[in-house]
Amino acid sequence: MKQIQMTNTPSFSLISTKKIIQMNDVSTSYDSKNFALDHINLSIDRGTNYAIVGQSGSGKSTLLKLMNGMMIPSNGTIKIDYMTPNMNEKKFKKMMHTIGYIPQNLGLVKNLTVLENVIIGCLPRLSKIQSMFKKFPENEVSEAKKIIKQVGLSGKEDRKAYMLSGGEKRRVAIARALMQKPKILLADEIVSELDHVTAREIMDLIADAQKRINLTAIMVHHDMQLALEYANRVAVIKEGNKVLEIGVEGDKIVDFQTGNMTTEEIMEMYSDDTKK
Amino acid sequence: MTPKNNIIIGVIIALLVVASYNVEANPIEFVEGLPNLGIVLEEMLLVEPKHIPTALWAMVETIQMAFIGTVVGVALALPLSLLAARNLNSKYVYAPIRALLAAIRTFPSILWAILFVIMVGLGPFAGVLAIIMYTLGFVAKLQYEAIETIDADPMDAVSSIGVSKWQLIRYVVIPESASHLLSQVLYMFDYNVRQTSILGLVGAGGIGFYIINYIKFFEYGKAAIFMIVVLITVLAIDWVSVKIRDKYIVKSQHGMEVTTESK
Repeated sequence: MKQIQMTNTPSFSLISTKKIIQMNDVSTSYDSKNFALDHINLSIDRGTNYAIVGQSGSGKSTLLKLMNGMMIPSNGTIKIDYMTPNMNEKKFKKMMHTIGYIPQNLGLVKNLTVLENVIIGCLPRLSKIQSMFKKFPENEVSEAKKIIKQVGLSGKEDRKAYMLSGGEKRRVAIARALMQKPKILLADEIVSELDHVTAREIMDLIADAQKRINLTAIMVHHDMQLALEYANRVAVIKEGNKVLEIGVEGDKIVDFQTGNMTTEEIMEMYSDDTKK
Repeated sequence: MTPKNNIIIGVIIALLVVASYNVEANPIEFVEGLPNLGIVLEEMLLVEPKHIPTALWAMVETIQMAFIGTVVGVALALPLSLLAARNLNSKYVYAPIRALLAAIRTFPSILWAILFVIMVGLGPFAGVLAIIMYTLGFVAKLQYEAIETIDADPMDAVSSIGVSKWQLIRYVVIPESASHLLSQVLYMFDYNVRQTSILGLVGAGGIGFYIINYIKFFEYGKAAIFMIVVLITVLAIDWVSVKIRDKYIVKSQHGMEVTTESK
């Protein structure tokens, strides 16, 4: 059984207790019979580093797509920063500009350069003419270069995305999301294919940005150890249902639904969850 | 071999026999006709080098026709391909555009050439118009199919930022389908040079005009010069296409990675 090491755990402070995501009794399905998510209740505080963990096909990615308005639930209500997602509504579309979404395969435009991929994050702030003719304002270009430097890709601005390594591609995806000046960052298993060292570097990068700009980071993980190490709270999803909501407090793992549980009990439950 | 496979092969052979009978395909006639080919080849060897300048000039005209046809055809095809892509438009937009493109593709370029010869008279202009129509129909189809096969991830990731449709096209659709487009343009130019070479058959200009006339009057030696020029030109274009493809397309389509760094 895996042991959770509590050393070097980054500490995050909750700046506001205001709920940024609220899901009440949310269900959604890709066909009429099978529910991808079944009666999910979830609320996430602003500024939290939140992790969603579960086995393949448990509905984790679906949950993220509901949080950025790309999917609409078949039942229940969702509020994202107190707004009901509706892509046709101007107000919500404006809100979407501040939700950074990194899909599992990162969604980089492989034939564009690093700088162009990052600049995509500010497209909603540009006029039609500016974006059509790639006439980017000086301040946006220098902001993009600053972020590229922050994610450690200085000097690689003009490199095409397809020429980058796996870790570098993830840095570009994070930089693009940061370029949006996001309130929320949604990331879908973006470190699962990386080696431990690179995975932690990427996680540190997000944790650093999260502290710096009071970002709410919601990340889907496969690795419970990594989730507990970085997140304030971890929701465990099993077959479309939320079965646990846990977090690290001091040197203990706390189950926020049923009270305190021992590390062994939590890991036991999690391994039951993933063995299948 | 399963019994099912045997039945399929049997059906294919039966259809082949029936179809051959219907089109009067007779292998004996083919074998009996082979000596005639020998006569033609023998006469073709009597090349007349004094026609080389005319052949070269006719080839230049053919290349110019193919060039204009390809450039204008592709320029017209691009906006139509964006409108015909199912992942970018509602069916009320893409369905009529697709029907129009299918109608354009129904005619081979030689039929378009006949139509334009009637419209604008004999000469290369009719050929250029025919090539434009043919290129338009095919490149638009190949391109909308390329757009529809674009990876959904960048589309989803960029759409989720809340960008406009035109920004999505400018920053995802065009760059992601650009390598396909370059490949199609090269293929189309190559194809159009060969195609333009035969449009002369219906009086639509180009080197084919000379070839068909010399063949009609059994002057195979003169025709041979023109055919050799076509052959060399097509081989040269093919060689250049391969070089361009290697340089600009292969790498980006295969997403070659630089593996020197792991960060």
